[in-house]
Amino acid sequence: MSETSPDTSVEVTNVAVASRVAFAAWVDEALDVRTFGQVLIRPSASGAYCLRHRDDAEAVNLTFYDKPWDAREIARLTESGQHRPLKSSPNLRRGWELRVSGTVALAVAMNYLYPAGIVHWYLYREGQLRITNYRENAARQSGIYKRVQHLSDEGVQNAAKACCEDAVCLKKTLWDVDPETTLEIDRGEGEIPCPEPCSVFVSFARRIRLFERETKRGLDAAGFSLSEKEDLAALVEAGAAGVIRLAREAEFEEPLNERRLRYRKLTLLPKLRTAQDASSHEC
Amino acid sequence: MKALVIVGHGSHLSGDSSLPVFEHARRIRERYAEEYDEVVECFWKEEPSMRHVLDTVEAQDVYVVPAFISEGYFTQQVIPRELDLAGPVTCKGGKTVRYAGPLGTFEGMADVIMERAEDLLRHKRIRPGRWGLVLIGHGTDLNKSSGGVIYLNADRIKRRNVYDIVEVGFLDQDPGIGDVVGNIEAENIVLIPVFIAEGWHTRETIPEDLALTGEVTVKPSPSGYKTIFYGAPVGTHPSMADLIASRARETEVVRNVS
Ligand code: SF4
Repeated sequence: MSETSPDTSVEVTNVAVASRVAFAAWVDEALDVRTFGQVLIRPSASGAYCLRHRDDAEAVNLTFYDKPWDAREIARLTESGQHRPLKSSPNLRRGWELRVSGTVALAVAMNYLYPAGIVHWYLYREGQLRITNYRENAARQSGIYKRVQHLSDEGVQNAAKACCEDAVCLKKTLWDVDPETTLEIDRGEGEIPCPEPCSVFVSFARRIRLFERETKRGLDAAGFSLSEKEDLAALVEAGAAGVIRLAREAEFEEPLNERRLRYRKLTLLPKLRTAQDASSHEC
Repeated sequence: MKALVIVGHGSHLSGDSSLPVFEHARRIRERYAEEYDEVVECFWKEEPSMRHVLDTVEAQDVYVVPAFISEGYFTQQVIPRELDLAGPVTCKGGKTVRYAGPLGTFEGMADVIMERAEDLLRHKRIRPGRWGLVLIGHGTDLNKSSGGVIYLNADRIKRRNVYDIVEVGFLDQDPGIGDVVGNIEAENIVLIPVFIAEGWHTRETIPEDLALTGEVTVKPSPSGYKTIFYGAPVGTHPSMADLIASRARETEVVRNVS
């Protein structure tokens, strides 16, 4: 590595400052409240901001916090106490109110609730958000993630449908497979843009690539892969026991992971339906 | 304005890995409020990602310290690539970003290990006999220097003459911790994992491999009894926050000299 690199930029805007100011102004301009992800922000004339879960708009008896860093504690675990590796998952816990004063404190709090959310929101509004498509991101990966470079276009599409839609992630997916191949998914309605596949997505893409390899190596006589059968067996077992307890959010090696099941819905369910149709015609 | 950015590994599955980074960031905010206007965390497997963290920093002078023990794949490849760093000092986007080395090789690391051991022994019943310290490292082929850093710290501690014996044991390479702890000629053995965070190894593998029953395990031995004191990983010790701050400060010295 060289000692120093030249700064080639001519005039540079400090995007952190600009986004903090623009975000606070956007909140201040609200007639009543703003919603950002699952967070409701209510400005006050004194320059303070009151943050709550959007489903707690009218709630009483909330736990009160007053330091911007408390937002980390709020964002750390789900309602049931699970780790939240992806803060844009729609699983922010309820029952709290955070009051902060001034734009710096608001930005600190927002960056714990939705890391880098306001800077991406700002850059997107200004038409300056740099988008990194899937292939560019995959080309950068190394180590155990290098294999995501071989994921097919169809694999990327299905992985994104399973991993990025609003049911599992509230960000608006802005990236594509590559400059020529548009991502054909419901990109989401939220305020927070997603400019590049995140680390949870890359890890999911790795799992999907392993499924693709499994398929290439051969399916059974009925056209199913070993892992597809394992997942079905796990579902039947859990259902029969009366509790389908989902695996942790990014535990993609587990059959009962929500994103993995969403992927199965896209790829396995059509196969099962076709098999069912074929056998009913035979009768 | 100055900002300190602490880079952690993070995990998709558990909050254990990122917790010390958040805790040290909080301590640095409290202890070094005069020095840093901003202290932020970023991760490989959690958010904010390294990719995006610098855009959230307002200060022009940014100090990046990796919360990693040894030099290797992460500190040499992943972190510079994801933060888009060109070297020890990078000027970009109106910011000067200084990149510090990992924590394990830093002078102060041995002090933190000693403190961890002292904390562990405080208010414990101590039997007479020789004292042995075993530093536990991961030791993996992926990271060739991970073993070296453990030996380096063992040598530094040996020179202080506090322990009769100072040894090194690994989970994934020789000498294995089982053999080291089994053969060490001391009646009191202090085990300190030289890891950044609690996790599967510190909670399960090490206690299981060594048949530990908690912080203190007393076992019969040919010469009577052996007492094993098992410490928490060095990376979670509150003094690591000071080590991170010193590591950041050191990047200025390097720059001024160069
Ligand atoms: S890559 Fe997908 S899952 Fe990850 S943040 Fe973006 S939209 Fe959400």
